[in-house]
Amino acid sequence: MPKGVALELKNLPNEIDFNIHVKPILSDKCFACHGPDKAKQKAGLRLDLPEGAFSRLPESPGKFAIVPGNLGKSEIVKRILSDDPSYKMPSPKSHLELSAREKAILIKWIQNGAEYKPHWAFVAPIKKEIPASTIENNPIDYFISNALSSKKLNFTGSASRNFLLRRLSFDLTGLPPTVDEIEFFKNDSRPNAYEIQVDRLLASPHFGEKLAAEWLDLARFADSHGYTIDRIRDMSPYRDWVIQSCNKNMPYNQFIHWQLAGDLMPNPTKDMRIATAFNRNHQQNTEGGIVEEEFQTEYVMDRANTFGDAFLALTTGCARCHDHKYDPISQKNYYQLFSFFNNVKEAGQISYNDDMPTPTLLLPTDKQQAIMDFIQAKIKTTEGKLQQVKPSGFDDWSKGEGPTLLKKQSIPQHGLVAHYDFESTLTNLKNDKEIGVLKHESGKTGDVPQFLVGHSGKALAFDGDVYCDFNRVGVFRKSEPFSIGIWVNIPKNLKEGVIFHKSNAERLFNFKGFHVYLKNNSLEVMMAHSAPSNAITKITKNDIPRDRWVQLTLTYDGSSQAKGLKLYIDGTEPAMETTMDQLYKDIIFYSKQEPGLQIGGWWRGLGFKGGRADDVLVYNRELRPYEVMLIAQKNSSENIFKDPNHVFDYYVTNVDSMYLKLKNELRNLRTAYSDSTESTQELMVMQEMAKPKKANVLLRGQYDAPGEEVFPNTPEKIFPFASNLPKNRLGLAMWLTDSRNPLTSRVAVNRIWQNLFGIGIVKTAEDFGNQGEMPFHPELLDWLAVNFRETGWDVKKLIKSMVMSKTYQQDSKASPELMERDPENRMLARGPSSRLTAEMIRDNALVASELINREIGGKSMYPYQPEGLWEINSHKYKQDTTQAIYKRSLYVVVKRSVPNPMMSTFDATSRSSCLVRRQKTNTPLQALVVLNDPTFLEASKQMGIRMSKQIDLNVSIKDAYVRLTGREPQEGEINILVELQKIEWAKFKKAPEKAKGWLSAGMSKIDLKEVDRPYVASLAVVANTIMNSDATITKR
Amino acid sequence: MGKHHEDNYRLNHPDFHPLDQGLDRRNFLQKTAMGLGAAALQVLLGGHSLQAKSIQDQILESLPKIAPKAKRVVYLFMSGGPSQFETFDYKPNLKNMFGEGLPDSVRKGQRLTGMSANQAVLPIVPSLYNFKQYGQNRTWVSELLPYTAQVADELCVIKSMYTEQINHDPAITFFQTGHQLPGRPSIGSWLSYGLGSENQNLPAFIVMVSKNASKDQPLYSRLWGNGFLPSEHQGVQFRSSKDPVLYLNNPEGYDGEDRREMLEYLKKLNQAQNQTWADPEVEARISQYEMAFRMQTSVPEVMDVSTEPDEVFDLYGPGSRDKGTFAANCLLARKLLEKDVRFVQLYHQGWDHHDALPKNIITQCKQTDQATAALIQDLKRRGMLEDTLVVWGGEFGRTVYSQGKLSANGYGRDHHPKCFSMWMAGAGVKPGSYGETDDFSYNILKDPVHVHDFHATMLHLLGINHEELIFKSQGRRFRLTDVHGKVVKGLLS
Repeated sequence: MPKGVALELKNLPNEIDFNIHVKPILSDKCFACHGPDKAKQKAGLRLDLPEGAFSRLPESPGKFAIVPGNLGKSEIVKRILSDDPSYKMPSPKSHLELSAREKAILIKWIQNGAEYKPHWAFVAPIKKEIPASTIENNPIDYFISNALSSKKLNFTGSASRNFLLRRLSFDLTGLPPTVDEIEFFKNDSRPNAYEIQVDRLLASPHFGEKLAAEWLDLARFADSHGYTIDRIRDMSPYRDWVIQSCNKNMPYNQFIHWQLAGDLMPNPTKDMRIATAFNRNHQQNTEGGIVEEEFQTEYVMDRANTFGDAFLALTTGCARCHDHKYDPISQKNYYQLFSFFNNVKEAGQISYNDDMPTPTLLLPTDKQQAIMDFIQAKIKTTEGKLQQVKPSGFDDWSKGEGPTLLKKQSIPQHGLVAHYDFESTLTNLKNDKEIGVLKHESGKTGDVPQFLVGHSGKALAFDGDVYCDFNRVGVFRKSEPFSIGIWVNIPKNLKEGVIFHKSNAERLFNFKGFHVYLKNNSLEVMMAHSAPSNAITKITKNDIPRDRWVQLTLTYDGSSQAKGLKLYIDGTEPAMETTMDQLYKDIIFYSKQEPGLQIGGWWRGLGFKGGRADDVLVYNRELRPYEVMLIAQKNSSENIFKDPNHVFDYYVTNVDSMYLKLKNELRNLRTAYSDSTESTQELMVMQEMAKPKKANVLLRGQYDAPGEEVFPNTPEKIFPFASNLPKNRLGLAMWLTDSRNPLTSRVAVNRIWQNLFGIGIVKTAEDFGNQGEMPFHPELLDWLAVNFRETGWDVKKLIKSMVMSKTYQQDSKASPELMERDPENRMLARGPSSRLTAEMIRDNALVASELINREIGGKSMYPYQPEGLWEINSHKYKQDTTQAIYKRSLYVVVKRSVPNPMMSTFDATSRSSCLVRRQKTNTPLQALVVLNDPTFLEASKQMGIRMSKQIDLNVSIKDAYVRLTGREPQEGEINILVELQKIEWAKFKKAPEKAKGWLSAGMSKIDLKEVDRPYVASLAVVANTIMNSDATITKR
Repeated sequence: MGKHHEDNYRLNHPDFHPLDQGLDRRNFLQKTAMGLGAAALQVLLGGHSLQAKSIQDQILESLPKIAPKAKRVVYLFMSGGPSQFETFDYKPNLKNMFGEGLPDSVRKGQRLTGMSANQAVLPIVPSLYNFKQYGQNRTWVSELLPYTAQVADELCVIKSMYTEQINHDPAITFFQTGHQLPGRPSIGSWLSYGLGSENQNLPAFIVMVSKNASKDQPLYSRLWGNGFLPSEHQGVQFRSSKDPVLYLNNPEGYDGEDRREMLEYLKKLNQAQNQTWADPEVEARISQYEMAFRMQTSVPEVMDVSTEPDEVFDLYGPGSRDKGTFAANCLLARKLLEKDVRFVQLYHQGWDHHDALPKNIITQCKQTDQATAALIQDLKRRGMLEDTLVVWGGEFGRTVYSQGKLSANGYGRDHHPKCFSMWMAGAGVKPGSYGETDDFSYNILKDPVHVHDFHATMLHLLGINHEELIFKSQGRRFRLTDVHGKVVKGLLS
């Protein structure tokens, strides 16, 4: 045995524990080839299960990887000690190596009997019995003090009240204490003075903001869609819901149920549906020309990955392409999870304008709602009146020439706005100024029409790329009735292509407008604001006639409902299936180049290749069925109007003045309603499809390589999915909070602990799997996890128990010995300390300078930002010019592709995916931010002005120091700052132009006498110096 | 840049136990500025079994085992996807096939973007521009790149590049980070992490974006993001505006001397505070403020081209006097490389020619050709080309068929991932042409080079085995090359 290993063997503890000592080595160094991923298991050996490790090696006859207690017979031992590159393990190819200590651990473990134990995180936590008295005191302290005394350590004394209140205020609200709050606390001699502060801060409306700031990282909340185009989107109602829920102390189980499945709850409220935006916060791609399915798949994966990262702390996403290499999550398990999140009708390429990707929830303001309700009521009344219209004057009319004329017309004439017969031109017979234009691609012209034999005379022929654009003809809103008739000859071999449409570039704008589209042997009729879920979609059930002339008519009544949108084939309504019936915003672009009716093709989409079209008719009213029969030439007008019912119906719907007046009113009301919804805020939410979408294992994780079909389920090795749960997101949410689920509660408690103590009990808060770290205080974690669940998932109560602990309240100062022994403070023999987060650094400066705008919620804001950053992304940054600019940092706009540089320099996350643990870096760019960013200069300026009003310089410096750091400066510190002030003042007096930048920062204007400027500037420098110092930047 | 960050590998390491640690890590790492960057060195040291080996042994073992050829890289990223047909991949046979449909036997069912997938015909279009062979290597270069043609013998033109991605965002992200989804570190970040900085006054990874390019496809700063690596490794964008690095400028009127004075007091204040806390983070912060101050001087200094002789401006071309143009950025890149900045990346947008390619590509070439060649010549005459790697290329190539309507001299080309051209020059690169495509430049016939292979080769030239430059995040080891990539020996001199 090599010397090093022998030496390490001597140093090992007597008890070698599988979970603590052995598995981390096996997982990190062996599982990649001998772990749960069946496809990658080399030599038929897996070491994650004892059955695998102890059985005969299939490729080495008579040998065993591990024979418990027998080093000589254990092949592993020989291999890890070997120097022979072809024999040793891990193989040199893996670039992995075992240290001497690791080898020693494996050897000793085998020697001791190679006992396997289940992974700690997959065994349900047990609440250890602890003495009743300690529960009253504080269970956290019970566990920590036991751990400390076993290491011969003690708690450090309590932090001074200044430090304590600053720590507590930041931890519970993200804001520093004000001078008054500090004073009050310092002078409060009541025995429960600290608890009073804790309760005050837990009840503060800023508590929810602090928790939200953390949750938004996990929820990958952002104000832009991400990917290249990265346009701005507004998801702030979700963010505000998080804040309010935290403030109301919504139980954590309910909090996650709503987010995962609020829409599936019985009678979901508006808030429940808002919460589901959690699943839609992922990035969405606007890039034209992307493959639809590829990105639809990405979105579902993001949801599944977020679910795993956020709630299970398992890197489920690793099983996208293959079985998880370290944890018991097979690739199939992954796609079973995936299938829970798959049943949303959504676009892969989202609309190129700013329409919210569907499905969405309309969120009218109270005022908007009142207006909408009012109009809706009037619509109802008018519809009622229309039903009961008593026509007048029919007798007179029927005696006139009206009925005779009707019998003579070859096509209905009333309401006919366009007729194209394609005999030799593209001209509208009703208006010869309107001439269709042939176009290709994005609207390029120059193509020559081909007129071939048609249904009557000539018809227009199509090659699939070139289309005929009638420009402004056919522009209708969803409130306006219309009808479009067309004769078509569909070639037999055409699989798919558009016949006519009013839209722009196929899916580029998510089919905004309407269309009739040939898909396999069916016709799809769609009218959309933004497909697929803000639209009406109907599909014919039976095959479409080919290679002969067929008359198609689309009629629409202006109701925004599927039943009002009808397709007729040769005069008859075919059987159709409605696949979407929720159109709640308008179907036009509101642009100067509003596209009109186009036939035969569209940019970037499949066209009517080899097809012909004849006699296009456009009406500004809904044709009656007998009129459709007429234009389809299934009946003559002579015949049709022999029927007195038709004559009467025609009279009512086309002539009767009362009917027409009401019809007109109805259209106007519907238009008004549409106008009122148009500006209404929309939020992306979840909406489950009626029929679940088929899900498959995707081979190599690729959207176009489906394997075995899968159904919703959870990884059985973690905790099986109960058979009585619904197989949908609601069932999944309930599975998550089942008392037997080993992970959810631990993961939540650990994350909350991390956010108070700076580091989790499990440091890898994002990974509780085999590659994650073991809990440093396992019994404490389990006690807290069980207790959290048993006490109704009460978050405020949990946080209170943490901050009330002696452990939390300790002074954070460490002796050099303790620093050496425990640099990261895992043992907690001292209080927590850490650098302020990005949000806190800015908020602290805003509070200290009293610039802060404490308004909670609302739209995200645009703080000072260097010019030109968004331009590379072809956008323009519009900085706020109102008090919004002083809102708290959690409201700073998050544009994924170009993050706010102040925030990202201080490690705010990019929000591209779920993250539960931020980096904590210390870089020169951070120095430049606090030194030169106008946010901090303006705060310094404001503090300088305030300081200048105080007569005693020392007092003013003290005050500024307390505002920024929460404590009074020591004498030495005051002296340094007093001296600095002197030097700066002298400098500014001598050269007043040096003060310019200090006094002009930010948008707040100051009015200073020339003579006072140097003094104020010198104080601003002092304030900025304190702002940059460790006492400000670090929370101790 | 700073090295004081939380090292997530070390602390994740199962063998790590605070109580066992007998090493003053910070001192140790500060003494090891050579070879692999200190951050990566920590990862390599991993096990901390110090009793077994001396510190010296460990350093020696962890030094690169490959002799580095390149000390620094300048990467001219041609964003949008330049057409290989009009630049480097000469396809004379296409002349006779003008307007013919792309044969199915060539396309072999390969997926197309949604922009041309639904086109009724896919008409073949030859390059409108002529090609000639240049230099001893007889390298084919189009007439659109006359300056590049003059340095043809320095170039290794790879005609057989390929990628998996067919749309801009995933393709650029893939090229810059080795993965198509956002969130991984950029090449420059990996190099900063792996090799550290040789200049204590400038960032190791600097990015510049041409202001004079057509912004047809957007760019975004996450392309030079650090991903899961510590943020000190992020690319720092140098801009032509008055604040060349974000927040570099002091408040108006307050000069460097004033700042220095203030920072001295800040240091005193921090030192006074640290008498209480004795926290290494405070010391680290003090040194970061010093670095920030040095950057305030060194960045404007390096960006000041006023002392460059006219002859240099003439070499880089007319745009080089206009700050922020590609030409000016090339000149600046040379200056940064002289200062031993590890990785300089220039982005030039505007190559996404779906439409009116013959006209638009002339503009692109005029904006970039002369300065690109000048950069190579300038590095060469300064003796720097031998240890500087120069890279030119976009995120994918373009199709042999015209996207949209074809006319005698108007056509567009859609995205094509299956083969395209890019080139490398300088340190350790073998000049000439590498790889072959079929007559349609649609498929690769010989010596394919995948994006991962390109990354592996690039790291190899820098003395790094791409399989060893790893970072552990969220329980798994990440590499720039994911689990793929091989060094392309044929590209090496």
